[in-house]
Formats: sequence, structure tokens, C-alpha cells
Amino acid sequence: MRLGYTVRLAVCLFASAAMFFVVLPAIAHAVLLESSPSINTTVAGPSIPIKLRFNVRIDATRSRLTLVAPDASTQLLAISKDAPADILASQAQGLIPGEYRIRWQVLASDGHITRGEIPFKVTQP
Amino acid sequence: MARLLQIFGFLSVLFRGGTLTFGSLTIGGIVFLNFVARRANSQSEAVNKVCLRWIRRAAAALAVMQMAYILASSLILMQSADMTMGDVSGANFVLAGILAIASALTIAAISVVQRPRIYAVMLAPAALILVSSVMTSHAMARLDYRFPLAVVTALHQGATATWLGGLFYLLISIPRSPDNQFARQLIARFSKLALISVAVLAAAGFTLSLAYVGSIPAIYGTSYGIMVATKVVLFGTLLLLGALNFQIARSPSGGSVIASLKRFGEAELGIGITVILTAASLTSLPPAIDLKNDRVSRQEIAARLVPQIPRLASPAVQDLPEDVYAAEVTAFNGGTLSSASFVPGQAGTRPNTPAEKSWSEYNHHWAGLIVLAIGLLAFLAQTRHFPWARNWPLLFLGLSLFLFLRSDPETWPLGPNGFWATLQDPEVLLHRIFSLLVIGLAIFEWRVQTGRVATEGPRLIFPALVAVASGLLLTHSHSLGNIKEEVLAELSHAPLAILGVVAGWSRWLELRLPAENKVRDRMAWLWPTCLVLIGLLLLNYREM
Repeated sequence: MRLGYTVRLAVCLFASAAMFFVVLPAIAHAVLLESSPSINTTVAGPSIPIKLRFNVRIDATRSRLTLVAPDASTQLLAISKDAPADILASQAQGLIPGEYRIRWQVLASDGHITRGEIPFKVTQP
Repeated sequence: MARLLQIFGFLSVLFRGGTLTFGSLTIGGIVFLNFVARRANSQSEAVNKVCLRWIRRAAAALAVMQMAYILASSLILMQSADMTMGDVSGANFVLAGILAIASALTIAAISVVQRPRIYAVMLAPAALILVSSVMTSHAMARLDYRFPLAVVTALHQGATATWLGGLFYLLISIPRSPDNQFARQLIARFSKLALISVAVLAAAGFTLSLAYVGSIPAIYGTSYGIMVATKVVLFGTLLLLGALNFQIARSPSGGSVIASLKRFGEAELGIGITVILTAASLTSLPPAIDLKNDRVSRQEIAARLVPQIPRLASPAVQDLPEDVYAAEVTAFNGGTLSSASFVPGQAGTRPNTPAEKSWSEYNHHWAGLIVLAIGLLAFLAQTRHFPWARNWPLLFLGLSLFLFLRSDPETWPLGPNGFWATLQDPEVLLHRIFSLLVIGLAIFEWRVQTGRVATEGPRLIFPALVAVASGLLLTHSHSLGNIKEEVLAELSHAPLAILGVVAGWSRWLELRLPAENKVRDRMAWLWPTCLVLIGLLLLNYREM
């Protein structure tokens, strides 16, 4: 096991370069199993309940739900603290008809961060 | 900012792999010291000393890796969710990390004391390192059977650390043993411990597979399943090496016995670290059992594997997106990205265009031709009848030039981005550095093959680098949200990585095993065979 300095240096250099070469950013972990509103659906406004269910326990305190309005303005949504461990729940109010997106970011209990988005359309009640 | 997050995202995977490796070395060392070295009939101060020194180093490295991991993950969270350090500090991964750092530093401090009484004391912080690792495992995030799964995970990781971590300490202890008798005693004791560890490891691994994979279609149909299968194949290789070692350990004493044991142990340790890195990538993947949609079917795999004529004509550079990253951002803003989940730093997953797929297939096929030629020439060179074939490493120069030209088509000399853009984009720069390293490897191994290098050290560079690079192929996954195309791509990359690991370590054993050991001759033929197979697999790589 006593390798020469040259060998160790070469292996370390190559390993570092190869790491950068082959490793992509961390992989998403939490999987969105279902959501309300669902992806690309139409819901009646102006007030809509939001519910996202994941495959793992979520740290809701360190997760975020952001609503992107038709004019691209963003609004941070308050996350309910009473929801089950795998669910992020909130309520969006005062929505005018148009195309919206919910951007979500969750911290799973095992420390992995995942994000995604749900496009949906709002119509008149 | 997105670029910055990309780097942090990459670093957190790197630190996770480092944490698992150094954690295993720390725990394995403490178990070895307590249950192998200390229980030997006589004591060897030199063995105890070297073990304590390496435990201290591994613990210090673990603490550094954990600090880096917490820092990288916290920064990602703070930047992507607009949080303060205070908000992040209560997160589970931070608490787990602090526990590991405190335990590792305690071990590092205790290990300075050179008294046998403290060996047992170190078992407590070693157990806490294991607890910390389980806190950031899949088990902790499960909705059902959380506690039993955490226990099984702890058994799995503890057994891995005892076996593979302990093996490292066996290898460094053998040369420092006062006599052959003592060395054989260490080997015999460690063999028993390793046998128990392997049994626990396999049983726990099987249980975890039932919980996280759950069915045969999930094995070949998801990224998680493919990585588990890869781990099982590498585990099989380790068992084979372990069996060879076990057989040698029970054979009558002979001059080459301990030398053979050490050499097999080196390969076992190297492959073992590859398995640990694979495990690090598994922790980043969603369990297969949770992914019910878009699994790859047997028919889709069979259709992809049907041999076809390699693509030896390239699409035009003009057909490719000018800036891949910009295309992704545009697709993100336009809402045309996959709605599957992704990590901070990525804009999401944009399906590759047909031109990009053709470009990639062309690259793989030409690389396959070069590797196939390398393998065949290496084969001929091994027969000793064709001395000219020993120049095969020079073909790596062609591979390097090919990578240089083709890996970043948007940059000089093929694309519109000038030469200086090479230095601005870290990814392009690293591809270029990688090409240069391949040139270095080619020249080095050519000198070895043609008898210009006599000493053993430099001869080991080629096998070590092949094994390291192949192992690193397993430390990442292409999969995001189980997109079928990416799972299919991984299905072809996993065998490439396994063959590369086997090629590297079989060449290593050919060079390192004593001449009396018959296995050496088989190893001499195994690695060229692996290179030929890698070439053939690359030639049949397809993305559509």
C-alpha cells in the first residue's frame, strides 16, 4: 500500500478532475405525488386551497411555496403548520383569472432540498 | 446566483461521499482496534500506534467533511429559500452534522492518549457517528416503519464500516506486525469479524431493498433500482475477493501468503470504497418504490439493446443549441421544462433535441471504437507475440483530442464562444483539464508498456486511475423525477462503470500479486477483456 508521491498526486489530480467531469448537481429526492391544483388544470378563483403531497416527511418550517401571478409578480404563501408530515398546505386568495404557477421548494427530513413548479389556470367562479 | 448554487449542489454530493467514506474509516478503525488488534494474544505497540494515528486522521477528515457539508447545504437553503442562518440551524441535517462533528473531534482528541483503556471509550462516539449518518438516511424521511428502518440502516452501515473500514487497518497493520505469527493472528481474527459483518450487511441490505425497491420491475425500471443492482454486483466481486483471501488465510504458511492477502485486500478496499460512493449517490435518489410512473419496461430496454450500426457521421454544430444553459433558462421561463422535481441551481430538465442526441451518440460510438482498439491491442500485447501492440496507450491521445474537440461544441474551436470563454466557464475548463490529464495518462502508460519505467509505483498509476474514474461514474445519477430516457442512459453507464472498476483492479492485481499466485495470470487476461467489452458497450450506446 506504500504508493509513491507521484502515484498519489496523479490519482488525486485525476480524481478531482474526474469528479468535476462526471458529477452533476445533487439529484432531486422528494417526489411530488399529487397536488391541488394539479399540473396544467383549471380552477375557479378567487380563493383556492393549495395542497402538495410528497413521498417523504417534509420540514414544513424550512419549505417554501411561492405563487407566480400572470404579471410575473411573486407572493410567498403562508404554509399551514397543522398539515400531516408529508403535506404542504396553504391558501391563495384574491386571484384574478389568468395563468399562475406555484413554485415549491421542500427540505425533506433527511436533509435533501428539492424544488419544482405547478402551472395552472384560474377562471371566474 | 444559479451558477453558484450549481457548484454548491455538486459540492454537497462530494461532501456526502467523503462523509460516508471517512465515517466508515473512523468506525472501522475503532472496531478493529477493540476487537482485532487488542484481542490478539500478544500486543504490538507499533500496530496500535499506527491504527490510532489513522483513526485520528479519518476522524479529523470526517469533521472537516461534515462542516463543509453543513455549510454547502445551509448556503443552498439560505440562498434558495431566502432564510437566515438562524432559520437553517434547527434543520435535521444541521443537528446530525453537529453530532458527527462533535463525535469525530472527541475521537481525534481521545486517540492522542496512547493507553489501551481508552480504546473501548472510543466506541461510544463511534456509535454516535453512526446515529448521525442514519439521521440523514432515507429511513428518517419515511412515512411508515421509520424506527425499524432506521435500525436496519444502522446495522447496514455499521457492518459496512466494520468490514471495509476495518480492512484498511488490517492492511496497514500487517507490515508493522512484529512477526508473521502475529500478522496471521490479526488476519484470522479479522476474517471472523468480516464474515459476521458480511452476513449482517447482506441481510440488512436485502431488507432495505424490500422496503425501498419492492419489486423486480422497479430494479431495472428506475435509477434507484439500477444503482442497487450495481451495488449488488460490486458486492459479489468483493465477496469473491474475500473468499480468495479467506482461502489463503487458511492455507499453510508460506512466503507469498501474506503478500497475496495484502494485494487482494488492496483491491477489496478499493472496490469497497466504490461501493460506499455508490451508496452516497443512492441517498440522493428517491426510493424506487415511490416512483410508480414512467418506469422503463423490459420491452423498452430490449429495444434499446438491439445492436445497430454505430453512428459515425456527426450532425452539424449549427444544429445544436448555441448555449445549453441559456436554452434551459429560456425553457424554464417559458414554462416548457419538465414539471418533475429538480434541485436548486438547476433550471429544470429540458429534453435534448434530436441533434444533441445524435451528437452524443456519435461521441460515444467513436470513443467506443478507440477503446475497442485499445482493448484488442492490449490483448495482443499480453500474448507477447506482437511487441508493437504494446504501444496501445498512444491511442488514448486520439481519445483525448476527440474529447477536447467534441465535449463542448459551443466553445472554441468548434463553436462561436472564443478560446478565452474556456477559462470563464468552469465546466468547459474542467473538460479541457481532463483532456490534458488523459494525454498525461497515455504518455505515462506508454512508457510503462514499452519498458521505459522499471519501478512499481508509476506502473500502478494506470490501473488506479481507471478504477477511480470508473468508480466516480457511479457517484452521480442522471435521473430527475425518473425520466425514462435518463434511466435508459444509466442502464448503459452502470455496466461501463462496473467493467472499468474490474479492469482497473484486475490490472492492479496482475502487477501486485506475487508470481507464485496463479490468480495473477487470470487477471492478466481479465482487464483487456473488460476494455474490449467497454468498447463494445460504447459502440451500442443509444439515446433514441
